[in-house]
Amino acid sequence: MNIADLRHYSIEEYKKAYRSKEFTPTAVTRVFFDRIRELEGDIHAFLAIDEEGAMKRARELEEKKISDTDFPPLYGIPIAVKDNICVKGLQATCGSRILRNFVAPYDATVVEKLKKAGVIILGKTNMDEFAMGSSTENSGYGPTRNPLDRERVPGGSSGGSAACVAALEAPLSLGSDTGGSVRQPAAFCGIVGLRPTYGRVSRYGLVSFASSLDQIGPLTRTVDDCITLFEVISGQDERDSTCAPYPPFSRNDIPKDEEIPKIRIGIPNEYFTPGVDPAISGRIREVIDLLVNKGFPVINVSLPHTDFGLESYYIVALAEASSNLARYDGVLYGFRKEGSFTLQEMYTRTRTEGFGKEVLRRIVLGTYSLSSGYYDEYYLKGMKVRTLVRKDFEASFQNCDLLLTPVTPCLPFRFGERSRDPYQMYLADVFTIPSAMAGIPGISLNCGYQDHLPIGLQILSAPFAEGKLLGFARYLEKLLSIPLPFPEKMPRKESL
Amino acid sequence: MSEKISLDEIKKMAQLSKLSFSQEELEQFFVDINSVVSHFDKLNQLDLSDVSPTSHISWSQPPSNPDEPREWPGRQEVFAHAPQVIDSYFIVPKVVDKQEE
Repeated sequence: MNIADLRHYSIEEYKKAYRSKEFTPTAVTRVFFDRIRELEGDIHAFLAIDEEGAMKRARELEEKKISDTDFPPLYGIPIAVKDNICVKGLQATCGSRILRNFVAPYDATVVEKLKKAGVIILGKTNMDEFAMGSSTENSGYGPTRNPLDRERVPGGSSGGSAACVAALEAPLSLGSDTGGSVRQPAAFCGIVGLRPTYGRVSRYGLVSFASSLDQIGPLTRTVDDCITLFEVISGQDERDSTCAPYPPFSRNDIPKDEEIPKIRIGIPNEYFTPGVDPAISGRIREVIDLLVNKGFPVINVSLPHTDFGLESYYIVALAEASSNLARYDGVLYGFRKEGSFTLQEMYTRTRTEGFGKEVLRRIVLGTYSLSSGYYDEYYLKGMKVRTLVRKDFEASFQNCDLLLTPVTPCLPFRFGERSRDPYQMYLADVFTIPSAMAGIPGISLNCGYQDHLPIGLQILSAPFAEGKLLGFARYLEKLLSIPLPFPEKMPRKESL
Repeated sequence: MSEKISLDEIKKMAQLSKLSFSQEELEQFFVDINSVVSHFDKLNQLDLSDVSPTSHISWSQPPSNPDEPREWPGRQEVFAHAPQVIDSYFIVPKVVDKQEE
């Protein structure tokens, strides 16, 4: 076989190849760095590449004596990590100039778990600054291009994490999802992205954007790889008090094959409005018809406050962001604007120069909605609507187990197409935001293509019901058998 | 478009969040921010008088850790990140400015 084919393997296939000594972790890691060298100039999925560290790690893993039965779950598997998740000794810029020199002094809990499970970290991936964006155009280090169409955005904010997996520069990656930042780029790049239940994965070592919404999630090519990665990173953490005191997700939580067709599917009317690209709603309707033909109980449900989700999200998320971002002041770490005479002046000049435009806008907006006189008008209202959005989901899960919706109302858009009007950009997350507000899990699955552009299907479940969610997603993936994106076949455009 | 936030308010919010903008930037922010805030008014369509707010999602009582001091091993790395340090002190410009007194 051609060694480049190695890039297409699943986690289980890598492990099988390692066990039979067909390939070594060093050989596999090298294949991915070759690919990164080949494509990075064009895709720009990574902000930092750690070839030396990764190759050293691969050799160390090989030297360890591991019995055939005792393989760690991610032994020798390369992974890319979003640049807002701390990996000791590697940069963590969050896509921001204000953290351009920042090197993480410790590992995030998820990274600790990954290392224990045997991964090889390839590097840190590009993102919208502090995860504020839906296209990766807000990165302080230049945008990432969609590997499936280089004139289009890969989505965001975890655009680098999605693009590197779709471009076969990494077999898996970690992203973070505040209002859709894992699911939306996964949809735009034609891969799998999971937002776990809020509190299912520790946020320790994830740089905060909106603490009540942020969750780390896996981006993979297949649902099965997603299951394995999620098993490793989930579980309680004493260093994150918002992390739920429940055991980690286990593959054993997935219902048996014969139980899958009994899963009740709900279709929320509010997610099939005229504003949705007909290619997307049409394809998802086809999938629903297919499920009806397979005998699944499918019902229509209503989530009446969906239409208010976006506005309440931006109030809540920006209020939290303006508070979280107060820490970037040029005192303890990160960029400092030199030549200031007073502390106040140093703060102001450091922050104004260090943050990008969208982040500045969101800080001002967040400060406004928290300020005296406007708190009741905005922040309090935002939190109340959040309650209504949450109750909508609770009520719908009385009658069904899973909800099926589009991930996005639009196909991957062109660079610059939405960046002039911030509200247009916010609309790209309109279908991923309500579930984030409710804290429930959701997965993005490629369910087909319109021309060469992927269409993302979103599946949502009740909190902690990831077993059903992933079991059904794996069933549907098999049923649909959509070919994975293959960048070599996709149109290649050099201009941006 | 009726402007919800005035230019002066944006200036004040910038001051509160330790940011400073040129007149041109302020005017751009004025347009962008008002365009976003105008959408927030949609929430007024809802009767929220009896709704309790959700500030965060918690599924259970947060567990508490034993109250025991623990050594932080990364002290040196932490100081290594600071823009200016002398011994174990973070150095900043003058804190009290006569004009601000």
